[in-house]
Amino acid sequence: MDLISVPTWWTIWMLFHLIVSVGLLGALTHQAVAVMMPVRKVAGPVGFVTRFRAVPAPGYAFAVCIMWVITFILGSYIYIKYRTYIRIPIEQAGYWKTQGFFDFKEHVASIGLVLLPAYWFFWKNAQDPEYDTARKVLTVFLCVACWFLFIVGHVLNNTRGFA
Amino acid sequence: MSTTNTTTAAPARTSAASSTKVRTFVVTVAIVGVLVYCICLFFNLPAFTYHPAVNRVELWWGPARSGEGPAMYWYGWTVTTLIVSPIVGFLATLLPENVGKKIPLVLVWLLPIITIPYLIWDLRQWWFHP
Repeated sequence: MDLISVPTWWTIWMLFHLIVSVGLLGALTHQAVAVMMPVRKVAGPVGFVTRFRAVPAPGYAFAVCIMWVITFILGSYIYIKYRTYIRIPIEQAGYWKTQGFFDFKEHVASIGLVLLPAYWFFWKNAQDPEYDTARKVLTVFLCVACWFLFIVGHVLNNTRGFA
Repeated sequence: MSTTNTTTAAPARTSAASSTKVRTFVVTVAIVGVLVYCICLFFNLPAFTYHPAVNRVELWWGPARSGEGPAMYWYGWTVTTLIVSPIVGFLATLLPENVGKKIPLVLVWLLPIITIPYLIWDLRQWWFHP
């Protein structure tokens, strides 16, 4: 007797994918806000937004790379089941734009993956002004990409999940 | 209360993390990776095709066959990119340091941004599906 059903198996993996992606989203958002609106000096009591911005952003870079890779691997794994179990019914139902957004998501995830070494390098050399612009734009790009990937994944799961 | 900024504080550089060769490698991987992925997409050049319904892997591009379910190319495009871009990145490190340093950093962030409209265009079959 199987311990868990096939849909449950894939749902569990999708939840792992979700959990790591939430961590990634939080880290990238903190970092992007910190890089766009750095806290120079605070006089008086600090509020939530200031605390949100005042994170040690360079310390997030390695974790972001690791979480992007793990999320990517988990997403690649559940994609196997998605292709047959979810995408075909989505196409049969005529949700073409939803399908288009998923394809968009897979491309953005892959592009983000190849940017990670440069992103890591720019943060490792955060004190070098030569890399300031590249570091800032790349971080914001990855942050926006991560939000996009997260929202599309969430909407797709609402459209048709594994269960 | 006065707080010193920690946002831009960075860990001390190590020689590996700041070397010119590493810089050349990561910058080349980012630029070439984005380009290779788009080329793979445009010309449909996966390293392999995966047929999930029958759990079969086929080298290079293969069509979806009747009774075998859909064919997946994304894995193949990604693997092609992950093979080609580090190889080109490594080759770039063999260039003289002054040549490697001339690779424009702006391409690292500009190319992914330019790629977005291309991807939207590439996916037009879904946006304009009747």
